[in-house]
Parts: sequence; C-alpha cells; structure tokens
Amino acid sequence: MTQALEIRDLSVRYASKGLALDSVSLSIPKSGVVALLGANGAGKTTLIRAISGLLPLHGGQIVQGSIQMDGQSVLGVPAHTLVRRGLGQVPEGRLVFKQLSVEENLKVGAAVLPRATEKERLDGVYALFPRLLERRRQAAGWLSGGEQQMLALGRALVTQPRLLLVDELSLGLAPLIVSAIYKQLDLVGKTRASILVVEQNARLALNFAATAYVLERGRITLSGPSEEVALSAVVKESYLGAIKQEREA
Amino acid sequence: MTHNVDSSPRAGLPWARTLRWLVAVAALVYLPTLLTERQIFGYALSNMQLLNIGLSQVNLMLITMLGALSLNYLTGSAGLISIGHAAFYAVGAMSAAITGSQWGWPFPAVLVAAALSGALAGLFAGLPSLRVRGLYFVLSTFALHYIVVFIFMEYQFKFFDVVGVPYKAAELGSWALNTPTRWYFFLLPLVVAVYWLLHNSLRTREGRAMQAMRDHELAATANGIDVRILRLKAFAFSSSIAAVGGALYAYYLTNVTSEFFGIQFAIQFIAMIIIGGMGSLPGAVVGAAVWLLLPSIINGLAAQAGDTTGLVRSMLVDHKPQLVQAIFGSVVILLLIFAPWGITGMVSRLQAKFAARRAKS
Repeated sequence: MTQALEIRDLSVRYASKGLALDSVSLSIPKSGVVALLGANGAGKTTLIRAISGLLPLHGGQIVQGSIQMDGQSVLGVPAHTLVRRGLGQVPEGRLVFKQLSVEENLKVGAAVLPRATEKERLDGVYALFPRLLERRRQAAGWLSGGEQQMLALGRALVTQPRLLLVDELSLGLAPLIVSAIYKQLDLVGKTRASILVVEQNARLALNFAATAYVLERGRITLSGPSEEVALSAVVKESYLGAIKQEREA
Repeated sequence: MTHNVDSSPRAGLPWARTLRWLVAVAALVYLPTLLTERQIFGYALSNMQLLNIGLSQVNLMLITMLGALSLNYLTGSAGLISIGHAAFYAVGAMSAAITGSQWGWPFPAVLVAAALSGALAGLFAGLPSLRVRGLYFVLSTFALHYIVVFIFMEYQFKFFDVVGVPYKAAELGSWALNTPTRWYFFLLPLVVAVYWLLHNSLRTREGRAMQAMRDHELAATANGIDVRILRLKAFAFSSSIAAVGGALYAYYLTNVTSEFFGIQFAIQFIAMIIIGGMGSLPGAVVGAAVWLLLPSIINGLAAQAGDTTGLVRSMLVDHKPQLVQAIFGSVVILLLIFAPWGITGMVSRLQAKFAARRAKS
C-alpha cells in the first residue's frame, strides 16, 4: 500500500554548510499521525521545508534521496502547486496575513478551490474553531497568539489536505490553548488527513501521535510506536526529563 | 485601510450616507465653476479664500493621482517598492508621441496604446523581481528609470528637438478638451473609475493573494499562491495605469521633454503614498492632493504676508521659492514623525478614538 508520505535516504545541505539532514527516512501511513521530535537545530524545520518545496527559498538543496506523496515524487515540484496535490501546512511562527481579516485569511487559503465550495469549507473551519467565526471581520494581526494559531491551522485545513504538516504549533502558547487546538487537530486526524507534527514539547507530541521519530543533528536516531519511544531511555532523559526539570524550576 | 478593527456598524443612517454622497458629487461638479469664476453663488472670493488654487493645478493633481494610486497598489498592497514609476509615465508619454504625434492616432486610441505599452514595460521591469528581493529589486527599478529616460531622450532628439515633443490637441470625437473645465470633467470620472477598479480588484481572489504575498511571501506560497506570476501581474497592471497617466500628462501640457521625468518625479510618488497612507487607496488620493496643492497654498500665504518690511519681507519676497520648499519639507517631516501611518491612517485612528469615547459616555 502506498504511504501518504514516504521519505527515503534524504540528505539536505544549505549553501556552504554541512549536511542539515543526513539520510533521513520517514514514512506516514494513510490517515496516520506521526510526530517528529528533536532539539533546536536538529533539522526538523528543514525536513518540513524539504517536503513542502520551500527549501530553495532558504538556500537549501536536496543532495540525495526521494520524497513521495501518495506514491508520486514531489522533488522539484514548485511549492505552490503542492497545495493542489493535497498538501497543507501550518508554518512555524503563526504566519497569518496580519493586515487581512480572519475571513480573508481563510479565503486566501481557499483560493485553490472551486468557488462553489468556498463557503462550505469556510463553514467547516468555523465549526472547528467557533472563535474564528466570532472574530471573522477582525484583522488577523490583532488576534491573540492562540487565535492566530487557530487561524493558521484553519487556513491550512480549508483545502481539506490529505497530508498536513504542522510545525511547532505549541510554541509560545499557553498550555490550555495548545491542548484545545490539539483536540481539534485530533478530530481532523480521525476523519481524513495524515498528519506530521513537529514539536519540541515531546510529551504533547507523543500523546498525540501513534508513531514518533527522533531527529538528532540531522539523523533519525530512534523511531517506533509512540509508547515505545516514550519509554526509551534517551527520550526520557533528554526530552521528557527536560520538561520535568523546567516545571520544577 | 490598514487596520480592519472590529467593525462597529458604520456611523450614520443609510439616508445620511446617500446625502453625504450627493453633497460630495455636487461639490466636485461645482468645483470647476468655483475655481474659474472665483466666486461662490455670486459672492466674489479673494485668491486666498480659494487657497491660491486654480483649476489647472487640480487637473494636474488628478493626473498625478493615477500615478499615486497605481504605486500605492504596487507598494502598499502588493508590497513591491519601485522607484521606476516616473519611467512608466515616460513610457506613456513616449508611446503617446509615437502613436499620437507621429502616426496621428485619435486620442482615445493613444490612451489605450499607452496602457498596453505601460503593461509591457511593467512586465519587463518586473522580471528582476523573479530573482532578487528587497533593496536589490528597488535598485533594479532605479536602473530602469535611467534606461527609459535615456531612450526617451534619444527618441526626442532623433525625431523632434530640444524644445521637446509636441502633442496634438486632445479630442474625444468632436468634443475637444480645450479648456481646463473640459479636462476636469474628463479626468475626474477617469480617476474615479481607476480608483473603483483598484478598490474592487483588491477584493478578488487575486487581490487577496497579493496582499497575502505582501504580508508573508512564504505563507502565501504555502497556500498555493505562485508569487512570481502574481508579482509580474501586479507590476504590469500598476505600470499600465501609470503610463496612461503619462500620456495624459503629455497631452495636458501639450509639450514634454525627457527632463520632465527626472528622479524627483519618481520620488514624488513615493512621498505621496507615504504622506497619504501606505496601502490605502484614499491615502494615495490625499497624498497626491497634499503634494500638488500644499506648495501653492504656502505660496499664496507668503505672497499675502509680503506687505511687511525688513527681514521678513526680504525672506518672503526675495526667497519665496526656497521658503515655500522649506515649509513644505518641514510639514512633510512633521507628518512622517507624528503620523507615520499617513494622513488617512491618522484620521481613522482619531475616528476610532472618538468612537471609543462616545461608547464610554
């Protein structure tokens, strides 16, 4: 059976620097939810960029390997056309269009759809995040951080992607809001999409995903079902432990 | 508008709004009579009561508004900064010289030709945007400016002479645009139409995509927007409007030389949209009005104060041009310091403040 996403032996280099990713292999089954864990600079965002075709914009280059979505190669495919092939992304840093209203943001996301379905899809997002409906005429730049993240996620979901990439969703948000957003994301995962979440908050990600990969300095050092990964000594010590210490401090 | 703060229902009732519109239209229709006869309903007005403004200035202002509007579309809405806007005026003027003065095409056809050649030049000028960003792109538009002005100069000296390129009288069929009032009634609807066109285009899918590109290129790409094509389109559209402005400018002045389109001509458009309010179409209108009318108002004030003696007199009379420029410059600097969001931004902020105060009491 073809996977939603199949990455084989992927190596990426940024101009004149060493390898940012070194022979990374990762696969996401259809309707699967996968977490990618790793410290700062491990290469998580680079991997996301490689999948979404945004690597050239950052001066990165794929040296070897293959990336397939639904059995078709996406190497060298222009980033903007991937949306039509069923890719949705929530980029790191809540990149909402600040000067556009909430609804306009969603409409930008919906612009690849036939006009007739636009309203229905927008309503779908509003049903998932009623908060966005309340604020729909407000400029996105005036929303709170949590609302902006809902909007970024909603904007990606408006196309009903088959594969959703979520980069550092919890960054800088209150735990309550994060868990609320993850709850809605869980709904999405149960219904249709395959999801890849990139998280520094390992506990959260391991609870959310069925499978987890650990990325360290550009290499996958551990992978498997989330429960097993959570029990491994390395993860306990360097990811889950770190969070515990933070809380105690 | 830059900020779309939680929209309280617009103040005023529907009929009040209609009334306001009617008054505005009536005022605009009456304006040329007021400015040419220098009296209002039979009462003669002094020059200063009319702020030392004549109808010709208003017409030039309208033509300049086309440039300001199209640049604000490009810079404020699509996020592309260009110093090349004078170049597109020059392209329009040159295309009008070829089609109008040399080939004898009728005026409306000349305008269409100017629009097309402007779009073509804009497409060409936008090409570097596929490779370079930010300041480098600005520099490429700067280079474009000098290339176009150079071509215009060569063209002028080859086919005409130092005096400049002469243009025929503008005629719409049998209706000759031979008085300022006629020009006014031709230009006003044109500017309104362009405004309306730009206003509506920002509310289409492509318009929204353009603003998304301005706010975040990466996120726009991630949403399926091909930013490169969009940039070229925005550039072509904007420069096509500017080129029409250039052709009108040439026909209105009946004679232009390449020196008209200097770098200060390009920078004035940037100043206008900053003064008026970046990213806001009303801002472009206000900015163009301030830029073209304020100097003449200051000039009038200086002339009126000229009855004094001594140093003040020598300042006012002998150094009037410098004084006007100094005051004008200071006003612009004050605006930039105290209202960096432009005049329209300042007004909408004040409105929000008053609305909040009213809501409190």
